[in-house]
Amino acid sequence: MNTFASRFSSTSAGAELSKAKAIAMEDDDFSDASWGSEAGYGSLAKGVPTFSIPSVADPTAFLRLHTDDSSDPNCRIKIQHGTTTLAFRFKGGVIVAVDSRATAGSYVASGTVKKVIEINPYLLGTMAGGAADCQYWETYLGIHCRLHELRNRERISVSAASKYLSNLVYGYKGMGLSMGTMICGWDKTGPAIFYVDSDGTRLKGDLFSVGSGSTFAYGVLDQGYHWDLSDEEAQELGRRSIYAAGHRDAFSGNTCNLYHVKEDGWKFIGNYDVSKMHYEGPGDVPGSAGVAYGYDIRVEGRSSADS
Amino acid sequence: MLATANNSLIAGRTTIFSPEGRLYQIEYAMEAISHAGTVLGVLAKDGVVLAAEKKVTGKLLDLTGAKEGGYGGSGEKIFLLNSNVIGGVAGLTADANSLINHARTIAQRHLLTYNEDIPVEILTERLCDMKQGYTQFGGLRPFGVSLLYAGYDPQYEFQLYHSDPSGNYSGWKATCIGANNGTAQSLLKQEYKDDIEVKDAIGLVLRVMSKTMDSTTLGSEKLEFAVLTLDPETKKPKAKIYRPSEIDALLQSEGLKKEDEEMKP
Amino acid sequence: MSIMEYNGGSVIAMVGKECVAIASDLRLGNQALGISSNFQKIFPVTDRIYLGLPGLATDVTTLQELFRFRVNMYTIKEEREIQPETFAHLVSSTLYERRFGPYFIEPVIAGLSQTPSGGFKPFIAATDLIGCLNFAKDFVVAGTASSKLFGVAEGLWEPDLEPEDLFETISQTLMNAVDRDAYSGWGCVVHVITKDKIITRTLKGRMD
Repeated sequence: MNTFASRFSSTSAGAELSKAKAIAMEDDDFSDASWGSEAGYGSLAKGVPTFSIPSVADPTAFLRLHTDDSSDPNCRIKIQHGTTTLAFRFKGGVIVAVDSRATAGSYVASGTVKKVIEINPYLLGTMAGGAADCQYWETYLGIHCRLHELRNRERISVSAASKYLSNLVYGYKGMGLSMGTMICGWDKTGPAIFYVDSDGTRLKGDLFSVGSGSTFAYGVLDQGYHWDLSDEEAQELGRRSIYAAGHRDAFSGNTCNLYHVKEDGWKFIGNYDVSKMHYEGPGDVPGSAGVAYGYDIRVEGRSSADS
Repeated sequence: MLATANNSLIAGRTTIFSPEGRLYQIEYAMEAISHAGTVLGVLAKDGVVLAAEKKVTGKLLDLTGAKEGGYGGSGEKIFLLNSNVIGGVAGLTADANSLINHARTIAQRHLLTYNEDIPVEILTERLCDMKQGYTQFGGLRPFGVSLLYAGYDPQYEFQLYHSDPSGNYSGWKATCIGANNGTAQSLLKQEYKDDIEVKDAIGLVLRVMSKTMDSTTLGSEKLEFAVLTLDPETKKPKAKIYRPSEIDALLQSEGLKKEDEEMKP
Repeated sequence: MSIMEYNGGSVIAMVGKECVAIASDLRLGNQALGISSNFQKIFPVTDRIYLGLPGLATDVTTLQELFRFRVNMYTIKEEREIQPETFAHLVSSTLYERRFGPYFIEPVIAGLSQTPSGGFKPFIAATDLIGCLNFAKDFVVAGTASSKLFGVAEGLWEPDLEPEDLFETISQTLMNAVDRDAYSGWGCVVHVITKDKIITRTLKGRMD
């Protein structure tokens, strides 16, 4: 791991290795990357990918200066943030629903971002915070889940997968990674959801919502949730919650991607346009009432102001 | 002794009581007004009517702007104070213009603060507070102007007020200020009925004006006229200050148009 | 956090053939939280002049009331309606009065001014928050989506558009630009001003 500890340590395993390399190869001016083709398996044999870090006294502060929106909205590098993701456990499995908007400051950079990362056919991860951070590390997690399967001849549990990710990002704590994800799947213990974030938090739970629009989604989720929901009702709840967040939160919206994780793996249910759900409802889908979701549309003509 | 003590601090004399307990400056101001052109106002149940006699007339007066005017009152007597209040003035024209400006600003400031048209009595009160100030502080002379305020607000509907240089005001059903106001007042007392309608009030006002005005002619060169009613559709007050051509037409229809005998061919 | 981005909102005005159009979004937010999808930012000043006020919402209301005050005084004293060019200068001086503690608004003015011959000429103008006037011949933009509005307007605008075509152009410009801005949107309203009438239309936009 590229932690401060390992970087400056002289007695850790990594340090031993680099000392040995230095003696053997006397070639420490050039990293292996300069010889090309780090795509081969050779790069993995060295362990976690190493990243170059700016050679300044305090790389953390340096990175924060240039990428942190909250301290300086005019920072030069705008990481894409802003989102609503949710996942909940119920008797029929796990429902995972996300929006698809990516914003850089107030600019809507994209409305077609895939915020559910398909780690493997039975594990899903959600993306909230820095898009690049989530995408990279969750794909990386997928590699290790496969390796686990190969080494142990059985699927990795959701708990283990989430712990791997959580420990990994803990190594980068303070360096500016921004990631709030939910690892969802169905393993021997049944359906499971773990919330993992870049501060190092890892929590097991039945219901989570992450992102700038999470508060709006929680409002709908909390009033509609119970364990005994049918599949259709659960999917509708997920959709409706993302709509609520997409409508009210400026940084969420565009479309909703809905997934359902069952015992045999996850299934992609559909992609629903948030604005279309406002005016017409989600359309002809099982579980929907076929009504528009938007408040103004539903109460048109019925307010006392209309008399 | 009391008189000199005041005098030494402030140069003017308006703050001084006479030995009989009168404020002479105010009385002198009212005297000035009694020589000014008459302004007559009548309150009806569906509107208020104001008419005034112009004193500043003459062939050489440039009235080219006045032909289309009457919007805010390009006249010398009747002015639009706000969309819901018309003012009629009698007295020193320059003082009147200053008060009119104040009134308009006061009305707009009320609109800015409360987002509503200023209630008529409030406007009257504000101007009167100002006028009273000039009788007690500063050593400045009082305004030599009496005003009639014809207005509407949703609270008290149509109202007519009269204020004088002392800063006193009262509400009237029909009243008159300026020259010959006594005559006009007694005429009004006889003919006024409580549930009079605007169309009848217009007739009453014009008849009284024709009897009390000094001149032999009754036409738009001598008369200013305005009516405040409620627009039947929008239910908002509608102030109409008549253009000279409209005044002549009105007089014609009432059968009161009096032309100069010599002008007839 | 920028004060100009606190409530969000954008306005655009365009010139057509003997007509002008002014349009705005309808969102009022508290940073990321959207609060109202019905917040009016364009106000009539006279029958032929419309004023758009994007920026901090409290100043939208304050300036609208302040301009109503000043235009009422002008109308009563001058006994005629104020002309767009004169009104633009009134806006400019009102804003400069607060040079060292400004209103957080960038006004947009659209109207038809009377020519000596009795005809009407289209007029648009915009100012910055301290009153610097910009008299454009084609279009003016303001608000959180201004950069996106510039882009789309530059692409879609052409001179001498008839009122119906101008309506289409300004609508497409506004709708597409605000979809790329997190702080603007939630519906749009468009006013097209011609010498005989003003047509106001509310558009169904993306509600996210």
